[in-house]
Amino acid sequence: MSDEKQQVSRRQFLNYTLTGVGGFMAAGLLISPIRMAIDPVLKESSAGDMANVGLSVDDITEEPQRIDWTIDQVDGWYESEVNRAAWVYRNENDEIVAFSPVCKHLGCVVSWEGSDQHPNEYFCPCHDGRYYKDGTNVPGTPPLAPLDEYVQEVRDGMLFLGEPKPRGEA
Amino acid sequence: MKWRKADLQTYVQSKEYIDTIVLPLVPFGIANDEESKKAAIQSEMITLLSHELEKELTGRMLLAPHYSYLKSADKQTEIARMNMWAAEMKEQPFKHIFILTFDPSWKKYEKELESTLLWLPAVQTGELNSKEMHKTVREQVAQMVELIRAYWQ
Ligand code: FES
Repeated sequence: MSDEKQQVSRRQFLNYTLTGVGGFMAAGLLISPIRMAIDPVLKESSAGDMANVGLSVDDITEEPQRIDWTIDQVDGWYESEVNRAAWVYRNENDEIVAFSPVCKHLGCVVSWEGSDQHPNEYFCPCHDGRYYKDGTNVPGTPPLAPLDEYVQEVRDGMLFLGEPKPRGEA
Repeated sequence: MKWRKADLQTYVQSKEYIDTIVLPLVPFGIANDEESKKAAIQSEMITLLSHELEKELTGRMLLAPHYSYLKSADKQTEIARMNMWAAEMKEQPFKHIFILTFDPSWKKYEKELESTLLWLPAVQTGELNSKEMHKTVREQVAQMVELIRAYWQ
């Protein structure tokens, strides 16, 4: 009798366990779409972090300099290191400005004085797009907007950069 | 631009600005352990380089998917096929077609190709993620950008 009882309970136990596993799997299936819906939000908040770009504010001059750093980014299936770059300088009001080097036309990488013919300007090699030192697009060249500006912060004398934002929002 | 839906949408809207296509050429072969390892490294390196290059020049170039060939395959057959690819690209029209490779054996068929062969000297097989490798890659990409800009002028 007690044997029988035990068997039942063992079978029940297995039953519960299996239901449990099945339920867990079902929950997994249910969760994935929700996760997908939430993920972009999560991504944004982590990408919004400020990164120490390894530049002391004392080394920032009136001459734009290019700096490179990496951030961790979750992009769809992969978490990976992403390279970032900025052109950093001090403007006439002694404010630090950090531009994204991504051309506002079709996204090529611009360089400060990237063309000998256009000194004192940013130059895009793809379709000769140009920007003045303050990031404003030169009229008559393909880009229709100024360069994006990084959200920035100075902590302990070091420059921290966040996300690039269209001018006026940074 | 890369060979993916979102980029192709941009391409279709801005065709007049995108006149350059880059085709990475990678060997494949699994028969010989050493050879296949080398082929895999080449494939990894060319993926890395071509992606970095694409980042610099994204607004004017389309990065085509890898073209792979058997190391043992007859070169003439492959060249005929590659020229078919090139013909299709030229019709779009892409004005500049660059083939990217580490394999020096293509060099002597350069004249038969209806595209520009960019042969890159193989880099030392170090850790792909090391600091030195980053530097090497950056330098090599800068040189490729210079070269492609020279063709644009
Ligand atoms: S992408 Fe910069 S000018 Fe076209």
